[in-house]
Formats: sequence, C-alpha cells, structure tokens
Amino acid sequence: MSNEEAKQVLEEQTVEGTDTEARLAAKQEELASCIDRLKHLQADFENYKKRVAREMVAQEERIADRVILDFLPLYDNLERAFASLSETGDHEAFAKGVKQIAAQFEGILKQKGVSPMDAAGRPFDPEYHEALMSVESDEACNTVLEEFERGYLRSGRVLRPCKVKVSKGTPETKEEET
Amino acid sequence: MKEKIIGIDLGTTNSCVAVLSGGSPEVIPNAEGERTTPSVVAFTDGGERLVGRLAKRQAITNPKHTVASIKRKMGTDAQVKIATDGKTTDYSPEQISAMILQKLKKDAEEHLGTKVNKAVITVPAYFNDSQRQATKDAGTIAGLEVMRIINEPTAAALAYGLDKSEEQTILVYDLGGGTFDVSILEIGDGVFEVVATDGDTQLGGDDFDQRIMDYLVDEFRKDTGIDLSKDQSAMQRLKDAAESAKMELSARKETTINLPYITADASGPKHLEKKLTRAKFEQMIGDYLDRTMDIVDGTLREGKKTSDQIDQIVLVGGSTRIPKVQELIASRIPGKINKEINPDEVVAAGAAIQAGVLAGEVDEIVLLDVTPLTLSIETLGGVATPLIERNTTIPTEKTKTFSTAENNQTTVEIHVLQGERKMAADNKSLGKFQLTDLPPAPRGVPQIDVTFSIDANGILNVTAKDKATEKSASLEILDSSRLSEQEIERMKNEAEAHAEEDKKKAQEVEARNQADQLAYTAEKTLSDLGDKVPQDKRAQIEDQVRRVREKLSQNASADALRRVTDELSKTLQQVAQEAYKSTSEAPDGSPSSEGSGEAAEGGTDDGADEDYIDAEYEDK
Repeated sequence: MSNEEAKQVLEEQTVEGTDTEARLAAKQEELASCIDRLKHLQADFENYKKRVAREMVAQEERIADRVILDFLPLYDNLERAFASLSETGDHEAFAKGVKQIAAQFEGILKQKGVSPMDAAGRPFDPEYHEALMSVESDEACNTVLEEFERGYLRSGRVLRPCKVKVSKGTPETKEEET
Repeated sequence: MKEKIIGIDLGTTNSCVAVLSGGSPEVIPNAEGERTTPSVVAFTDGGERLVGRLAKRQAITNPKHTVASIKRKMGTDAQVKIATDGKTTDYSPEQISAMILQKLKKDAEEHLGTKVNKAVITVPAYFNDSQRQATKDAGTIAGLEVMRIINEPTAAALAYGLDKSEEQTILVYDLGGGTFDVSILEIGDGVFEVVATDGDTQLGGDDFDQRIMDYLVDEFRKDTGIDLSKDQSAMQRLKDAAESAKMELSARKETTINLPYITADASGPKHLEKKLTRAKFEQMIGDYLDRTMDIVDGTLREGKKTSDQIDQIVLVGGSTRIPKVQELIASRIPGKINKEINPDEVVAAGAAIQAGVLAGEVDEIVLLDVTPLTLSIETLGGVATPLIERNTTIPTEKTKTFSTAENNQTTVEIHVLQGERKMAADNKSLGKFQLTDLPPAPRGVPQIDVTFSIDANGILNVTAKDKATEKSASLEILDSSRLSEQEIERMKNEAEAHAEEDKKKAQEVEARNQADQLAYTAEKTLSDLGDKVPQDKRAQIEDQVRRVREKLSQNASADALRRVTDELSKTLQQVAQEAYKSTSEAPDGSPSSEGSGEAAEGGTDDGADEDYIDAEYEDK
C-alpha cells in the first residue's frame, strides 16, 4: 500500500469512527429520553393509583351517606312514635305505629333489592344457610328446623346467610358413622 | 409480560393471597369477594367438595366430613378419614392443604385473568423440615410450583421493606384468631436469620371474644336470673355482639352491647344492654396478654437479646389492633413498632414481594421517590396554596392558573413553599422570584400559569407564565426533597398539632379575600351601571362598601366580615336584577357575568380543585 493509499484508508476510518460515535451518542440520548418517559409514565401510574385509592375511600363515604339518609326517616318516625306514646300513653296506637314503621322499613329494603329468604323446612344448603346447631328430630336428615337469624338476598346474591338449626334425622335413620 | 407468581399465607384458621402489581403487593379477593379465606375443607354427601366460607357454614351439620386447622397436622402421618356415599377415603394433611391452595389458585386466576402456576408459601418459623416439605408437597398437589417456602415473620418484615436496611434485629409479634407466635430475626445483607421463636398454638382473639361472652352471660344472670348459655340462639347473637364490641373497643374507649329481645321468661321479653369500657375489656383479657409478654421475654432470653437490642417490631394478626397489646409491647421494647399494613394481610403481602423478586418483576421496576412534603405557593392573604401534595410520586408536573390581586398590577411574586401548614409563613420557604412587565389590567383578569415540575432526581422547577404575553420566568430548586427524616417528621407533626388553628386562620383569610373582592365588584358595578342604579340604592351600596372596608381595616373576625359582606351581596343582587328588568338585553361586563354574589373566585373550600385562585401579588 502506498503512502497515499494508507492515508486515505486512515481518513476513511476516522470518518467512520466519528460516525459511530455520533450514532452512539444519538442512541444514548434516545435511551435517556425513553427512560425519562418510562419514569414519568410510572410516576403518573403511581399517582393515579393513589388518586383512585383516595377516591375509593371518598366514594365509600358517599355511599354510606346515601344509605344512612335513606334510613333516617325511619328513625324520625320511631322518635315520633315514642313522643306520642309518652304524650298519650296509648300502647295500642303505638304498636300500630311501629308496625307501620316496620312496613316502611320493608319498603326501603325492597326498593334496594333486598329480600328475605325462607329457610325452615328446606334442605340445608351452605350456599344460603349457616348451621349453628344440629339436632335429632323426626324431620328428614339435613332439613332446616328453625331459623335463628333470618337470611337476606340482594339481587339474587346472598347478603347474609340464614343462621339455622338443622335436623340430624332420628337416631335410626342417622347415617352410620365410622 | 412476565409470569405472575403469587404469595400465599396458608394459615391455621384463614389464608390470604397477594400478588405484586406495579411494584406493590395487592391482596387478591376470593370468589366470594373476601380478602381472606377460611382454611376449612368439607366433603358433602353428594361427593361435592367445599372450601372456605361455605365449608365453614356447614361444619356443624357435617362435623365428620369437615376439616379445619389442618395446618396443625402438617408433617405428621395423620390421615383424615372421610366416608361419603359408603366409600371411605384417606386424605393426608398435604392433600387437604392442597384443596385450600387449589381454591386460592383458582380464585387468583379468575381475578388476574391469567394462569397461575407458581407460588411462594409461608410457614411458621418453628416449622421443621418435614413440615416445610409437606407444605411444598401440598403446593405440588395443587398444581403449583412452590418457588420458595419462607417464614411468616420474614414475610411480614419483607412487607415493611426491612430487608433494605442495614443490620438490624427485628421482633415479630403475631397474635391471630387462634394462635400466637413470636420470632426474633436478624437481618444482614438482605438475608434473614431466625434467632429464636416461640408461641402458644391455642391463644388468640377467639379467646377474647369468649371472655366478653362469659362476662355478658354472668351479668345477665345477675340482672335477670336467666342463664343465656343454655339458649343457642341467644349465644349466637352474643358471640357476634362480643366480636364487634371487641373490634369497636380498638377505636373507642367505650361501647354498648345492645341486644333487644335476647330471651323471654314468664314476665315477658328480656333485653340485654350493657356498657363495656376498654379498661374493663383489658382487665378481662389481661392474663392472656401477660402470657404473650412472658413468651416475648422468654424468646428474648432464648435469642440472647435484651429488649433494647430490638430495632424494629412488626405486628401481625388481627388481635394486634387492640391498643393494650401495642401499649404492652411499647412499654417492654423500645424499638420502632411497624403496624401500618393490615395485620391480617401483611404476611401474604410479604410473600407476594418475595414472589415478585423471584419473578424478576422487582428488577423491572424503577424505584421512584415521593415528595415528602407538600409544595405550595403563597397566595392572597398569606395562604399556602398547594400545587403538589405530599406523597406524590416523582417525576411529576402540575399547573394551576392564578391571577392578580390589584388593579394594574405589573409584577407578581412567586413564593415557593414546602410543608403541610395552611399559612405560608409557617412553612419552609424554598425561594422567590418575580414575573415582571405584565400589561396593566384590572385585578383578576390576567391569567398566569404556574407550573411545578419535579424531575426524577428531585429537582424542582417552577415556571410562571402570563398567558396573554407568553412572558415567563422560572426558578430551579435543587434540594426540594433533601430533608432529613427528622425534619420531615417534625414538620408533619407540627402541621397536625396546629391543624385546627391553621384551618381557622385560613378561613379568616378567605373571608377577608371574599369581602375585599365583593367591595371591589360592588364599586365596579356602580360605575358600570351608572345612572341605572337608583340614587337610594347607590347610597346604600356605597355605605355598605364603606362598612366592609372598615371591618377589613379593623381586622374583624371572619363572622363579622361575613355579616357585612352578606348584606352587601344582597343589595347588589337586587340592584342587578332591577337593572336587567329596565334593559331588555344585558350590557357587557354586567355584574352577572362577573358572578355577582360569589364575587371572590378564590373562595375554595379546603383547597378544592379549583384552578382559578387569586394569588397574592403586589405592586412593586
């Protein structure tokens, strides 16, 4: 290789070198901006999560407020009932009034999609019932004998299971256990 | 996306699952919508298998086919014999545990919308090798590859990030529904070592409920002569009431247990109504709590540690919410008590963090800082108006629009503050700068965007820009987040201590600002409407404005100011109404377009997100 040629190769290499360096610098800048964007996105996401969590708490409060407001008229009426009782001493009228308040209560529950379930006499089903006692009886084994606490459904979903006493059957029909 | 690994706290009475999501652990609710699942398995006559809440509900009718607390049998040769449909099957404790794990896995898959094949499961620190192996086998049977078995106290420490600190000694106090465990851990280089562990497998919150029930039965017998313990229905109501009374006493000093129509005798229905104070409850369970503290002492001795060698305490289990428990621990051990994470979920949360590390998820997360304190600017009347609330993850940016407080104001000063106090003077000043050469305009007209931007390194850049002229000025603050922990703590405590008084001050300033704004609007209205205002009304308004100004100069109370501004506001509205009646079309710049009545736009309640606030800018 002549001197002249060598010089040219060297020059080309230098040009190539600067070119690579420039490309690397560009890439580095691109990477830095990507990381910066990632950090911003991630911080936005974190802050979004915090905001949603805060809003959730506020929302729960608002829902509780609404429910309480729906039930306050019942309490108002109960107070009226007591005021009237102490004024007149009329127990019959009081009972009648309280009955009407109960009906009002029922109306609110119904409007909220809450319905009581009937358990007595039905086969025990843990989906709807919670067994508190199991006793021998003439009823078929696994029949609900008594409700201790009424169960409620809301829009088909179990809101509160019914707390029940369940039949074990008679001693003869009782399954032999090992 | 990487495969999700779940963290499972497989408990004696309840189990809990969590997963790392976006860098933080999140509890996965089960199919019934609950965050913990009873560790109960049942087999029905129809050959159906029930796990969790449903199994628990039918336990009494089906005691022979219901298995609870199987964890106590792990690692033993015990076999659970289940006879259904004339066939007897033997199940090992691993198989029963696997059924619980299967439900947790299925519910997690449902929640996450993806297959889950791997898990980290926790076990008590005292579990031996065969108990650990049995737990691992249970996972395998359930179709889970158990990536790691970790100790429950270690998981709890992980949930609090205690692995990130340098060498420390940690005491984990775990008081659940039915078991008590205490462990002492040493941590160095991210590795936990159990130094000592002890406990009582038959002591927990259920015992506390029982004590309250016993007390109520006794009291009722004293009052009425009736023994409620014979009445199953009454006892069930008592049990529920005792548990809620216990929980309420963690938040209040006193509660009333109210059970009308609890029973009846020949004389008619009987009601139970009993007050229970926290002090009385603490006395009732005192021997149990003393026993836990004796075990703590014993564990310290066994680990050859003195109480002041304990750097951190971690509380696990629902019963640690009882204030007396925390008090007893604090009085015996001087270390820092960690109790912020829900104690029923903290073990699962820690397991999820371990799972996230194993899944490589933790590495992918860029660790980001949060602003330790609120960043605000000073606005009219010396109020600190927040731009970036404390605990905001950085980098972040927030812009709010402000305006001028005086007519023809050409300069605004931006005073940047840090801290939780409502008044500017009580916070730390980070710096001030001015935006000058604003074109003269009536107050409230210019729109100045103030932007706070914090980069990932915590450098705060504040820019103020006049929307009309595009003129802007800015200030860079390098050390906005470089406060010492003590300083941050001090500022937070101060804010809490002064919360009431600060709120009152802020309200006073707000009343002043509103009064000032209304007086200004009133004068503007008079000049805008000119002779459309009847002479008598004009005189009345002028007089009322004078009174408002007088009160302002006397530094009158917020109430006094409100009284005079309300009067002025009323008269103004009358005048505005009449003025409209007299002209068919409203002239430009009439009071209504200014929002008469509520003249001061800065009237924000508790810093509600209103983007337009009159800032304190004074003519220079």
